Amino acid sequence: MMDSLSGSLKDALKKLAGKAVVDRAAVDELVKNLQRALLSADVNVKLVMELSKAIRTRSLDEELPKNTNVREHVLRIVYQELVRLVYATADLKLEPQVILMAGLQGSGKTTTTAKIARYFQKKGMKVGVICADTFRPGAYDQLSTLCAKINVPCFGDPKATDARKIVKDGLAAIKDREVIIVDTQGRHALEPDLIQEIIDLNAITKATHRWLVIDAALGQQASEQARRFHEAIGIDGVIITKMDGTAKGGGALSAVAETKSGIVFIGAGETIENLERFDANGFISRLLGMGDLQALMEKAQEAQMAGEIDMEAMMKGHFTLRDMYKQLEALNKMGPLKQIMNMLPMGNMQLPEGVYDVTSTKMVRYRILMDSMTPKELDDPGLINSSRMQRIARGAGGTPEEVRELLKYYKMMHKTLKGLRGAGGGKLNMQRLMKRFSGMQ
Amino acid sequence: MFSGIRERLQAARNRLGASIGAAAEAAQSASAEQAVPSTAAMPGKNPTLADKVKILIIERELVVSEKDVAGALDELEMTLLESDVALPVADAIIADIRTGLVGKHRRIGESVDTLVVRALKSALLKVLGTGLDLPAYIRGRERPVKILFTGVNGTGKTTTVAKIGAYLKKQGFSVVIGAGDTFRAGAIEQIGVHAERIGIKVIEHQTGADPSAVLFDTVQYALAHKTDVVLADTAGRFHTKANLMSQLDKIRRVMKPDLIVYVDEAVAGNDAVVRAAEFDRTVGADAIVLTKADMDSRGGAAISIAHTIGKPLLFLGTGQAYEDIVPFEPGAVVEELLGSGA
Repeated sequence: MMDSLSGSLKDALKKLAGKAVVDRAAVDELVKNLQRALLSADVNVKLVMELSKAIRTRSLDEELPKNTNVREHVLRIVYQELVRLVYATADLKLEPQVILMAGLQGSGKTTTTAKIARYFQKKGMKVGVICADTFRPGAYDQLSTLCAKINVPCFGDPKATDARKIVKDGLAAIKDREVIIVDTQGRHALEPDLIQEIIDLNAITKATHRWLVIDAALGQQASEQARRFHEAIGIDGVIITKMDGTAKGGGALSAVAETKSGIVFIGAGETIENLERFDANGFISRLLGMGDLQALMEKAQEAQMAGEIDMEAMMKGHFTLRDMYKQLEALNKMGPLKQIMNMLPMGNMQLPEGVYDVTSTKMVRYRILMDSMTPKELDDPGLINSSRMQRIARGAGGTPEEVRELLKYYKMMHKTLKGLRGAGGGKLNMQRLMKRFSGMQ
Repeated sequence: MFSGIRERLQAARNRLGASIGAAAEAAQSASAEQAVPSTAAMPGKNPTLADKVKILIIERELVVSEKDVAGALDELEMTLLESDVALPVADAIIADIRTGLVGKHRRIGESVDTLVVRALKSALLKVLGTGLDLPAYIRGRERPVKILFTGVNGTGKTTTVAKIGAYLKKQGFSVVIGAGDTFRAGAIEQIGVHAERIGIKVIEHQTGADPSAVLFDTVQYALAHKTDVVLADTAGRFHTKANLMSQLDKIRRVMKPDLIVYVDEAVAGNDAVVRAAEFDRTVGADAIVLTKADMDSRGGAAISIAHTIGKPLLFLGTGQAYEDIVPFEPGAVVEELLGSGA
């Protein structure tokens, strides 16, 4: 089913390829196929209609940017609109906090609670769990068994009936823990007693985060449920569970739209380690059933990048820390480095894996470090000796090791780009590359 | 229940009726002026001129054209999608209604409404099938009747087993439950507590044991104690996990169930179709239980799943208490969905 949908989506995109002006009929067809793809991924019907309207209007009204053809132009709009739906970031700090889990029956709260406990534990935090599910038989056994596996204390009492009291006692009993996760009973929005209970639990715990757990298979109902939960306790993050099945998780999108929050985690598997941070690109690809989302992004990002990075100079080997700074700044707007590198027309050249191994938090650190360098140092990193390193580190509130790491990363990038000049896919590839870049200057 | 989809269906019914009615008026006025009806009123199926004359002049009938109903059907499709009917299923239903309406000769004077409702009703009934009366089924089989429950994680299998246990007990059957979910932490405790509350014997092994062995023992117990019904709980599993599906297949081979009940939730969206089809293909499914119907007034998943695997719906789960389970009667549901006068 999905395959044929993404197939027709691709066909619709192809039809746009050769056009010189934006063709209303072709755009309409594309939008229609997109609608079908999104609807069968359980995205909220109203959301789909809004989205397709925005795409249609923007595609037809917006002026074609220079150096882009119709297909790229429309693709860029499609991508931007989709990203706008999911790209709200849910912040996740490694600091003392209380997390309240909320969700429908059987959405996977208890399993996810244990997985999150494991996540924070691996980050070196002291974690404790409170089982506030006093309704479902076996809930405490389930959570305590899972917690015992990872040596996380689990507070609860299978015989208790008052969730509020359990939570109060629990908070007192494990107050030495840095991260406290409160698992609650499954409930849905049409049960006023239970909604009142979670409002009370939220007040008692003064929860830092209230995360809504959504089953990837949840359909149109997601929107309504999320809205009610949001009204009750103010959801500030969504977790999608059961992504290891065939469900596309479109319902979670509706939840995100309703709560104006981001997706924190994705649960995909039955073991305690199967929890991932959310990756917007992977998610959208799955939603549309299109693997080659990168192609979709390609031109969008190139267009943005043109003004910011002197690619030609970079390719000639004049790659300074200053260039890297600009690049990092651009990356902030564009997403993971790997995608940007992939989108460069480098043929089949493989880049060392280490190049990608920089997390976005690292990126931020690097920029701060570079902020405390002098212009001279930025232009000629060779100047940086150990006393300068000391100064830079102090200025940025970091350690000299960090500066060294930054320089190492710079060297790797430098080498990579230099390597591109000589090797790569040969002369033809190089010519294409230059042609592409000259258009962007 | 399903009040959401009911309202929408009735709105669609009114719209369909109105657009056909409007077309009828146009056709009538045209025929009055020219004696031969205007072709604009019926571009859909292109009946021959003789047909038209016959219909409009001689038999005074009207042909419903595709154009007459196109707008209303598009709207109906959106309605179905909003009600969580999966896309391919919604397509199929709409196509069915279209063939039910377009080209139909309607005698002038016959209510448009009747025509529309008849088409909607037959399309829905075709999808929802006949239902299954479980107590009658059990009475008609050799004891013990073995019922195996399957489904993906978190749809409410364990709770459903307890509810059906309580329901059958009330109907006068003796019941034994097999705690076949040996994987999920707390599952055996969960079914144990349920069974104790409703006064049903549970056969259980330890966590991590072979579920086939547990359920085999349960069947042996039932044979020895002349129990009427065996309810076999299993661990939730995704249809994408080949190993777990073959485990389920082994369970089926070992305990030889009379009835395999596939459990899914009423709030599931399009994926309901994918996984129901996959479960049906790999281990089979003879009936469906839809849980969490109280969360959702739309009931689209019922339509999707029933359409996909073409098996009867047994029960709807409608709450957290043991008595919150309703035998599913398609006729009554369709009647309720479309309102009276159908």
